[in-house]
Amino acid sequence: MASHAHDYLLPARVTLEEAGELLSEHLDLRQGAVSSAERRFYDTFDGLLRAAGLAAAYERGRLSVTDSSSGELRAAAELAEPPERLLAYELPHGPLRGVLEPVVELRALLPLVHLATDVRELGVVDAADKIVVRIVLERPAVIIASGRRIGLAARARLGPVRGYEDELLDVRGTLEAGLGLVEAERTVLDEAVLAAGEQLGGVSSKIDLRLRADQRADAAAAAVLGRLLEVIEANLPGTIADVDSEFLHDFRVAVRRSRAVQRELKGVFPPAQLASHRGELRWLQQVTGPSRDLDVYVLDFDAFRLTVPERFQADLDPLLSVLRGRRLAARRAMVRELRSDRAREAISGWGSFIERLESLPEEGRVDAARPIGELAGERIVKVYRRMLRMGRAIDASSPPEAYHELRKKGKELRYLLELLAAPVFPGEVVKPMVRSLKSLQDVLGRHQDREVQVATLRSLAGEVSALPAGAVALMAMGVLVDWLLQDERAARDEFAAVFTEFASPEQRSLVKDTFR
Amino acid sequence: MSRVLATYNIKGGVGKTSAAVNLSYLAARGGARTLLWDLDPQGASTYLFRIRPKVRGGGRRLVRLKTRADDLIKGTDYLGLDLLPADFSYRHMDLALDGTKRPTARLARVLKPLYRHYDYIFLDCPPSISLVSESVFEAADALLVPIIPATLSSRTFAQLEELVAGGPQVLAFFSMVEVRKSLHREVMAELRARHVTMLGAAIPAADEVERMGVDRSVVAEIAPGGRAALAYEALWWDVKRRLDLGGRR
Ligand SMILES: Nc1ncnc2c1ncn2[C@@H]1O[C@H](COP(=O)(O)OP(=O)(O)OP(=O)(O)O)[C@@H](O)[C@H]1O
Ligand SMILES: [Mg+2]
Repeated sequence: MASHAHDYLLPARVTLEEAGELLSEHLDLRQGAVSSAERRFYDTFDGLLRAAGLAAAYERGRLSVTDSSSGELRAAAELAEPPERLLAYELPHGPLRGVLEPVVELRALLPLVHLATDVRELGVVDAADKIVVRIVLERPAVIIASGRRIGLAARARLGPVRGYEDELLDVRGTLEAGLGLVEAERTVLDEAVLAAGEQLGGVSSKIDLRLRADQRADAAAAAVLGRLLEVIEANLPGTIADVDSEFLHDFRVAVRRSRAVQRELKGVFPPAQLASHRGELRWLQQVTGPSRDLDVYVLDFDAFRLTVPERFQADLDPLLSVLRGRRLAARRAMVRELRSDRAREAISGWGSFIERLESLPEEGRVDAARPIGELAGERIVKVYRRMLRMGRAIDASSPPEAYHELRKKGKELRYLLELLAAPVFPGEVVKPMVRSLKSLQDVLGRHQDREVQVATLRSLAGEVSALPAGAVALMAMGVLVDWLLQDERAARDEFAAVFTEFASPEQRSLVKDTFR
Repeated sequence: MSRVLATYNIKGGVGKTSAAVNLSYLAARGGARTLLWDLDPQGASTYLFRIRPKVRGGGRRLVRLKTRADDLIKGTDYLGLDLLPADFSYRHMDLALDGTKRPTARLARVLKPLYRHYDYIFLDCPPSISLVSESVFEAADALLVPIIPATLSSRTFAQLEELVAGGPQVLAFFSMVEVRKSLHREVMAELRARHVTMLGAAIPAADEVERMGVDRSVVAEIAPGGRAALAYEALWWDVKRRLDLGGRR
């Protein structure tokens, strides 16, 4: 819709008044006075806004989201104070939430950089004194934590006015040819982030590794585990501070993936030492489990509510307050563990262990020197076949545990595929296989979640019934349980179809041909 | 999605354009992406925004969806506020609509692709009852109706409500009010008592509104904090509140 905005760097040491005078020698300008503004930029921990080409800034009582390349306003809302943390899903329904929520989902917006900027707004006008191009002269400075200011180069930002594209071209020509100005390579925001010593684009929890099929398996394992450990460490502080639910989630996924590598590539490790590290990662997994389960329960509560008839929905409130209470208690317990010496040592000990891995004697490390492609392929075939056997044994009378065990194996296969196979095997095989596995896992996951949720509800019944309006809440919970059981049955019914696809003859021969 | 608001009155010179311009300015200043479509061939709002009253291809091609409204829009001097300009050819808009299928659905179809780009779309209408106004009624979520407190204004109001029955919300407000005139006071009291949809905020007769035509600007810039500026703010607040009670398209 709107065209690009253009930032030109102004000559060093020129004041904004002087810059305005300079421009007015070449352009018909309406000039505003110099004012100064404080602007705080926000993004999620993993830089979702930047990745979506958006920038969020708080300035003078207003939080606005703009398109980074055009400068076009996407949405704004009044906000009395600059937030320390902002969750899109907690905003009132409206344009701002409408723009933010699909991009950041559950992630909190956090202060990214704080700028103090001298600003002078100019308008290039036509014969009717109508503004046809906006020019904002800016002299920004980053305010860092100590309060110190780091000055950035002053710039002239050309803002397009819709329907006056030719005039914009003319003004650009004047600035470039007439005044010899050059365009800035980075946005002010990126410049400020770098000046503050931060990383552009935030901290990702993605595992994007380059492995070679003929690489030694222990080197490949160390590389993957090293990156997973970075993710674990990066997400620990946000988990402890409860910044948003994704820190804990990403922390746990990285721990679980590390454990899968420990198990699946166990032949690359010295057996005796591996055992204790496995125990410690299992422990990290366990102490964070209840907190994650309750996070999910509270986050999904609105969806649960919708499963009961409208007039009973409010009756579930006591359940929500019990869940919230449990969640806080679980968090407290988790934070205590995560702050303990044991956790610190578990993580740092694991780190130095994988760092040393390649230099350890090869005795007892039977798979250490094998090419990772071969080893990963072998494991994938094994786990896949194991899943076939497990899945075939499942029928309508199977206990929930049978589904659960299959799901656990499925996770293992998924991590093998994503972490070790994706970098070394052809994408046209790995991707569809991950997709078909994912449909299977979705069904198994739903089955398992419902099973656990029903059990959780039962375990909370006593506490809920003791609350005022608890009896009514129990009735509504009964309706909810009924829905959960129905959905669990539905998942069982869907299992046959997704498993058949996963175990199809084509899929089986593809696995055989590719991975061995 | 947008809310479409049309300033409308069968009578001329009652303050439709003044309201459309000042309210759309306030909407944009509040952070909403706002568009004003100047439907009046006289082009009064277009003039106030210092924009050339010209659309490429004319009104006929526009309502026949031969040109895209998107390509004709101009940015005003105010951030977040765009204008779809008037064109002299709009004086034949009735004829242009008449040849189409379902003429009264036309304006809504022209606007439809714009809904996702704007939070508010204002339509500044010429004074008349015509195919254009019928088409406006179909496109609008609400009509903003300026009423000068005078004899017969109660009848105007009643006629209008009848005319658009089942269509957009009718949000009427008093315009060019002179509180020193006892006639104004009496008529206002009477209308407020009889019509629940009469808005509380009223626009006083004020020099700064007249000055808009000379300065080609909005009252918030001509006399910031003045009576008229405050009245338009109150009116906008009132309109938004009523809209939140009603629906959106
Ligand atoms: N509150 C007011 N105080 C003083 N003058 C006003 C006020 N409102 C409008 N006017 C003046 O009255 C004239 C008509 O106003 P405006 O153009 O807003 O009405 P309109 O209903 O759009 O007219 P038209 O039917 O011609 O489109 C203008 O000259 C305007 O400056
Ligand atoms: Mg008018």
